Amino acid sequence: MAQALRLALERNLPKPPGSRAGLPWRWLSALPVLLIFGPVLPGLYWAVNPALDPAVWQSLWFDGQWVQALRSTLVSSVIGTVLACGIAGLLATLHYPSQLWMSLQRRLPLLLSVPHAAFALGLFFLIAPSGWLARAVAHFAQWTSPPDWVTVQDPYGLSLALALAIKESWFLLWVLAAVLGEQAVSRQMVMGRSLGYSRTQTWRLVLWPQLLPRLKWPVMAVFAYGLSVVDMAIILGPGTPPTLAVLIWRWLTDPDPGLQARGSAASLILLTVMLACALAVRGLAWLMKLHRPYPTGQRKPAASPRWPRVHTPLFLLGYAVMAVLLLWSVAQEWFFPALLPAAVSLETWQQADGAPFWTTLWLALAASLLCLPAVLVWLEWGPKRLNALLYLPLIVPALPLVAGQYAALLHVQWDGTAVALVWSHLLWVLPYMVLTLIGPYRAFDPRLMTSARTLGYSPWKACLAVKWPVLLRPILATLALGFAVSVAQYLPTLFAGGGRFTTVTTEAVALSAGGNRRVLAVQALLQIALPMAAFGLAAVATHWLGRHRKGLR
Amino acid sequence: MKLSTLAAIAITLGVSTWAQADWSQTQNEAKGQTVYFNAWGGSEATNAYIAWAAKEAKTRYGIDVRHVKITDAAEVVKRVQTEVGAGRTGDGSVDLMWVNGENFRKLKNGGLLLGPWAQNLPNWDLVDLNKPVRTDFSVPTEGYESPWGTAQLTFIADRAKTPTPPRSAADLLAFAKAHPGRVSYPKPPDFHGTTFVKQMLLEMAPNKAALQQAVTPAAFVTATQPLWAYLDQLHPSLWRNGTTFPASAAEMHRMLGDGELKMSITFNPNEAANLIASKQLPATAYSFGFTGGTIGNVHFVAIPVNARAKAGAEVFANFLLSAEAQTRKADISVWGDGTVLDINKLPAASQALIRKTAPGALNEAVPTLPEPHASWVEALEAEWLKRYGSR
Repeated sequence: MAQALRLALERNLPKPPGSRAGLPWRWLSALPVLLIFGPVLPGLYWAVNPALDPAVWQSLWFDGQWVQALRSTLVSSVIGTVLACGIAGLLATLHYPSQLWMSLQRRLPLLLSVPHAAFALGLFFLIAPSGWLARAVAHFAQWTSPPDWVTVQDPYGLSLALALAIKESWFLLWVLAAVLGEQAVSRQMVMGRSLGYSRTQTWRLVLWPQLLPRLKWPVMAVFAYGLSVVDMAIILGPGTPPTLAVLIWRWLTDPDPGLQARGSAASLILLTVMLACALAVRGLAWLMKLHRPYPTGQRKPAASPRWPRVHTPLFLLGYAVMAVLLLWSVAQEWFFPALLPAAVSLETWQQADGAPFWTTLWLALAASLLCLPAVLVWLEWGPKRLNALLYLPLIVPALPLVAGQYAALLHVQWDGTAVALVWSHLLWVLPYMVLTLIGPYRAFDPRLMTSARTLGYSPWKACLAVKWPVLLRPILATLALGFAVSVAQYLPTLFAGGGRFTTVTTEAVALSAGGNRRVLAVQALLQIALPMAAFGLAAVATHWLGRHRKGLR
Repeated sequence: MKLSTLAAIAITLGVSTWAQADWSQTQNEAKGQTVYFNAWGGSEATNAYIAWAAKEAKTRYGIDVRHVKITDAAEVVKRVQTEVGAGRTGDGSVDLMWVNGENFRKLKNGGLLLGPWAQNLPNWDLVDLNKPVRTDFSVPTEGYESPWGTAQLTFIADRAKTPTPPRSAADLLAFAKAHPGRVSYPKPPDFHGTTFVKQMLLEMAPNKAALQQAVTPAAFVTATQPLWAYLDQLHPSLWRNGTTFPASAAEMHRMLGDGELKMSITFNPNEAANLIASKQLPATAYSFGFTGGTIGNVHFVAIPVNARAKAGAEVFANFLLSAEAQTRKADISVWGDGTVLDINKLPAASQALIRKTAPGALNEAVPTLPEPHASWVEALEAEWLKRYGSR
């Protein structure tokens, strides 16, 4: 008996490192990732090559726009990221675990499903000098024309920072909720409280030191997104000059090869900034490690201090954004200072083009469903040390990557095909999905797998029958996120799709060149509806599948 | 009859029947092709018109026309450049594009256009050759692009707030000073913004003939010096003190509608009427021009050298030039874009439709000023960005 058990264990348990038996699996699991990432490398070489000429750097230096562009980029991304972390961290510390936290968590998917471009548009409709807030003031102050305020497109990128902070705080809250939902973490809070430590104390002493390293990549992704965002920056960012990402985008799409080279060079600057900030954060983390709090045994069981209800304005703003978009989509005449449209009709909805909606739907479905098996086999059998490589698309500015993809597609003459379009999305969908799933995946109790294999399951069967069903909730959430990421893609759709595939996102950005807020609002709402449906379905499916299993819900 | 005359007649007849045979062959070839028409997609009126034309092309010629909505024709120029640079010479992703000015010059000089073909189109006979349809920003088109419509720089204001508009550059300066923060123009290199700057250049330049020649550094300095002096004076009175500018004309329409600005700018004398109809501007909005005239030009369609459906693109371009398509385009309730055809060659019903007007449209005669040579655009934009692009 004991002999049989030992044999079974030897056959199925992971081999010690260096053993060659695991290699085929490892290669097979890396194959999808190779297919997604591999072709970009030669493309990237072609994209970055022009920036190797010193004359290009000289022309960039004398351009005069990049200093201010870099300033507004730094202001918006640094302030946006710090604020987002602050808001998410504060809310978690104040309210986890509680009924309020659970209700916040339930309300998050609605806000998360608002894509960046749609959120920026809605926020613009709210806070612009002719926006809803100014109209509300005008109502009492008897203004007849909009005030001379600089509430949007300010030269420092502060309104962009605000938008990023709010939008990304929802993302970070969602990541936190996923991590805090794990049994191992929630038990520690119970343990801390039962030993007499207050909630805040337990957070400081036990939870944050564990969670911070796991939040490293999500926060990096938030920061990288802020650095290289184009669509939000066009809507809310400064115009003279724009943020560095927008400037690079304009240069890269300029017909003049000299300006294209300048764009390549400037995207290297963006990359350097990213690296410098990452190193700075690493240094900070090291310093914090030196001063890691150590429980002295002193309990402060007093109730945590009364804080204002931070979450109320945060969530209200999200709802107001959706409300103002809805109103604009049905508005007829609605000029400043009217608080509400003079008349409403469904005309804009009836005239809306439905084709982009369906294109977005199949595209996002294909991208997220193709990525899921790739993510699962990678997390299970892939080389763990290479995870950092997988996150590169989230950290490298998107523009040169898109240019690289396009160059690679041109060489095989696949650009403008549906296959190429789906492939181009995978480069961003995959890392986001890995990023979302890796936390729950690592935190999975390994004893379950050991038991399964002890009972004779092959690694493959153990995953299929035990591990993945137990992880169903994070897996479905990951799938929904992958869908949402695909919906929001703008640059890859435009380049790899050869401009032949119109999604709600490219349609919204194309229409933003024209100023009809009604049509813009309809496209923005369609852009919101798709991910919202995905997150909603994921939540409903989780609930339904886990209705008899307490731990799954 | 002399032999040479006979020969000439024979050749003429031969050429014309050959041309007809040639065209019907082109039409046969076009059947079943898919034409990707890359055109600016920022206006619903334009998009709806292109959708109509695509539907007609499908029923009449069996051509599948897909409108690829783009935000800037320069993106398409880059796409064609990249494709041809990558050795993709016969299987390009763009079959027909809406283009003029600087982008046309770049494509033509780079050998990236198919041609000459435009003047062989059957409907070329209807074109009004008195309009500048054979030069594009002083660059000869030589049949490398086919005229599609005419445009003229036009300003829009709200009669309820601005009963008497400025009528010249000097007027505009006084107007801006009287209403600080309520005047602006789109930021070059936006198409409308660059045109505004060119309009001011045309009024300020000491020697206007120099603007019709390719730009030289010396000519640029002499011609533009008064312009920069003017803009230096104007900018402090502009919206946000001229430190930043609206991104596009469409954004200015919105700001005009809300009263954030007192003036907007357009290239279509009928656009204000469309904007009133779609509730984007109040009913009191009206169009006006400068007394000394405003810049006018022609916009075209061109076929990239690596287009896949060359025949389909030609047949569709010919349809766009037909009396029916041009009349519908000029109809103010559809798009209101000026025709390139000779109105006298059109049926009476078409003439009436073209002359139709609507509240808000330009209803005064404004002289048309020619565009400066295309090479000035790049120089002007670069200098503008250097001076005002990062303040």
